[in-house]
Amino acid sequence: MALDYFLLVFIGSIGVYQIASIPAGLRGLWFFGQPVLQCLFGIAVIVSGFAWFFTDENRNFQHTVEGAQQLGLFLISIIAAYVFTAVLASIIQAKVDFRPEEPVEGKQHEEGIETFKTTTLLGGILTSMKKQRKDRKEVED
Amino acid sequence: MPPLAGWTLSITEALEVVEENVPVLNDIMSLLVSDFFIPVLISLFMLGIWLYHPDPAQREYLQRHVMNAAVAIGISTLVVTIINVHPFWPRPFDPALADAVIQQSAFRASDIIFYHTHDPTFPSNGATISFAAATGIWLGHRKAGLFIFFLAFLWSFARFYGGVHFFVDILTGAFIGVLTALLISKVFMPRTEPCPTWALNACRFLYIA
Repeated sequence: MALDYFLLVFIGSIGVYQIASIPAGLRGLWFFGQPVLQCLFGIAVIVSGFAWFFTDENRNFQHTVEGAQQLGLFLISIIAAYVFTAVLASIIQAKVDFRPEEPVEGKQHEEGIETFKTTTLLGGILTSMKKQRKDRKEVED
Repeated sequence: MPPLAGWTLSITEALEVVEENVPVLNDIMSLLVSDFFIPVLISLFMLGIWLYHPDPAQREYLQRHVMNAAVAIGISTLVVTIINVHPFWPRPFDPALADAVIQQSAFRASDIIFYHTHDPTFPSNGATISFAAATGIWLGHRKAGLFIFFLAFLWSFARFYGGVHFFVDILTGAFIGVLTALLISKVFMPRTEPCPTWALNACRFLYIA
């Protein structure tokens, strides 16, 4: 039951990240180049996740996943889905290269997910590391 | 017996009539009463609010409200746990209930759409957390808040309909949820600054805010 719940939230979160990143313009989280395709994919993922979980006849019974455990599983699941989405989007976009990575303007700790408007997670980490190295070099010189 | 306990009988009897005439409606109620359906829907909706806004300043404003709602859910659950130390009355379907007519009707209702849960009934934990989430979000985004209030109402009604709670359990749970969310959003979180800002900065550092 706990694993099923984890998977339900994991699948649902992937769908939410795909849909919510469209109006936000966070292209670094996109799996597809077109927003319509992206939205349809997000909806399909959420609906199929819920359909899989709730069509099982044994959902309304005395289960062992209590409130605190539900909360813990939910948090772990949304973070896992986030990492999965960001890494997969980085790989897809690096492979397809439909949008060349642009340098991030501000510092990473100030930008946060705003970084995804111009680059992917792996791209953001790389440029952030480069920037840090450059800053350190300038201080040493 | 709690106040307004008689309301349970009229609604659980209605469920039995529905079962005979429109069984699909009880299938829908069985989905709505679930421990997972509406809570996951509300949580995923809050996750969408956390992320969706294109303007960074506006997004941060919404993220603060999502954070307030999440803290309110946690604190209101704690309040319910403390109240649960003293059991006020049994579940409507519990054989220990004084009124056998209500008990049997509620027992059949919960048998049809839910299960016979064993934890304390007063106040309703589901109503508490869903109304806490709705109020927390409503203070930052009216339309999104109203949508979550709608989900909270559906969940609470389904629990009452299924003979899982008395009306007073639901009403008290909703009251605790709303009050906790108001206190957290208007009093507690502003006074604990800069802690919420540090939390947001930590999330930003990890690319999650």
